[in-house]
Amino acid sequence: MCTLSTFLRILCEKQDLICNVCFFITHNFDFICSDLEVDFGSDENASIVYAALAIDKELQPDKVKRQMSVANGKLSVHFEGVEARFLRASFSAFVDVLTLATKTIEQFGQGMDS
Amino acid sequence: MKTMIALGFEGSANKIGVGVVTLDGTILSNPRHTYITPPGQGFLPRETAQHHLQHILPLIKSALETAGVTPDEIDCLCYTKGPGMGAPLQVSVVVVRVLSLMWKKPIVGVNHCVAHIEMGRIVTGADDPVVLYVSGGNTQVIAYSEGRYRIFGETIDIAVGNCLDRFARVLTLSNDPSPGYNIEQLAKKGEKFIDLPYVVKGMDVSFSGILSYIEATVVEKLNNNECTPADLCYSLQETVFAMLVEITERAMAHCDKNDVLIVGGVGCNERLQDMMRTMCSERGGKLFATDDRYCVDNGAMIAYTGLLEFAHGASTPMEESTFTQRFRTDEVHAIWREKKASAGINGLKEESN
Repeated sequence: MCTLSTFLRILCEKQDLICNVCFFITHNFDFICSDLEVDFGSDENASIVYAALAIDKELQPDKVKRQMSVANGKLSVHFEGVEARFLRASFSAFVDVLTLATKTIEQFGQGMDS
Repeated sequence: MKTMIALGFEGSANKIGVGVVTLDGTILSNPRHTYITPPGQGFLPRETAQHHLQHILPLIKSALETAGVTPDEIDCLCYTKGPGMGAPLQVSVVVVRVLSLMWKKPIVGVNHCVAHIEMGRIVTGADDPVVLYVSGGNTQVIAYSEGRYRIFGETIDIAVGNCLDRFARVLTLSNDPSPGYNIEQLAKKGEKFIDLPYVVKGMDVSFSGILSYIEATVVEKLNNNECTPADLCYSLQETVFAMLVEITERAMAHCDKNDVLIVGGVGCNERLQDMMRTMCSERGGKLFATDDRYCVDNGAMIAYTGLLEFAHGASTPMEESTFTQRFRTDEVHAIWREKKASAGINGLKEESN
């Protein structure tokens, strides 16, 4: 939990984004992360990140599921895992590339400082 | 018509590089950053990906600034599709997808091995050589035939560069600038040749047994003062390079080609180049080799190879812009080498402007 919240704090601080994440365990002992929400301020940027990250499927689809959606300039990501460690690994890797995609937009998008 | 320009991204191993090249092979910029681990340690996928995450965006800025190119002027974005380590590969591909969507530029996925070959060909001017591709992840003897780069011989276990890297870890040699470079320098002081297993199996080679043999015997030999670390570096280089020269020569005889091109990180080893040059001259052929700027993984080689493919009408749709850890050299259809009839290098007519 510590690493996840650290990741999110970094993500939030650096990009001034809103993230709401909560974890809970269901009756089936499924581990769910519902939902990682990032506000990009426009559907255009949220869709770019969505399109860039949706192509890479989860490496172990039988252990972790990831669902993404875009609405009102926000990207929402829902994770489900059979064990906490799979969920954590998947989530942590996803946050890394999400951060990268966001920084790429910031630095090379429209109004790119040059 | 203006010359086409490509931006290329390479990050399949411990180097992250971004290059800007034009279709005639001019390299406008080619910055890269290497993840160097402490002596005795290798690089692991997750840590390597973290390194790439930190350096990729500054490298893009630097590549564009040095080249004096704006995003508008770029014709296509090229990235390494594979082979390589998954997590590091993903860093390049995510950035390329985002840039493609923002700048509205097409994507071209490139095979890392083929990129080494094309870079070697354009830099040295070798037209149709037998290629020895030797690096930390790959060891292959390759020749072009009917639309594809065919693998004539390869390692059946670990790559020659991997063998050298892991040997350097046994001696705890520095990984800066690269383990292979430090082995090469130390080997120059070697005087005594230690017998090591010599493992050529038909057209293929094997290095893991040699490494195990060294790992099992080296400490005792060094402690008994039977040899020095320099002797071991010298003996290992002589043995593994002789194996590589042997299978390369056999491939030359088989394909009836006289020239050899050495590419890949181990290819900048001058001792390997010397041994290969001797063999080539005895057969009346020529050796083509490059230094570490082009041999070692870099963004320009990806950009150039992607641009060749793009100029021949191919590109990778967004939904197919995936990456893969396994991607063999002979899976690629080298369309740019097929239309030779129209003259000019790589089937492209010379631009006159």
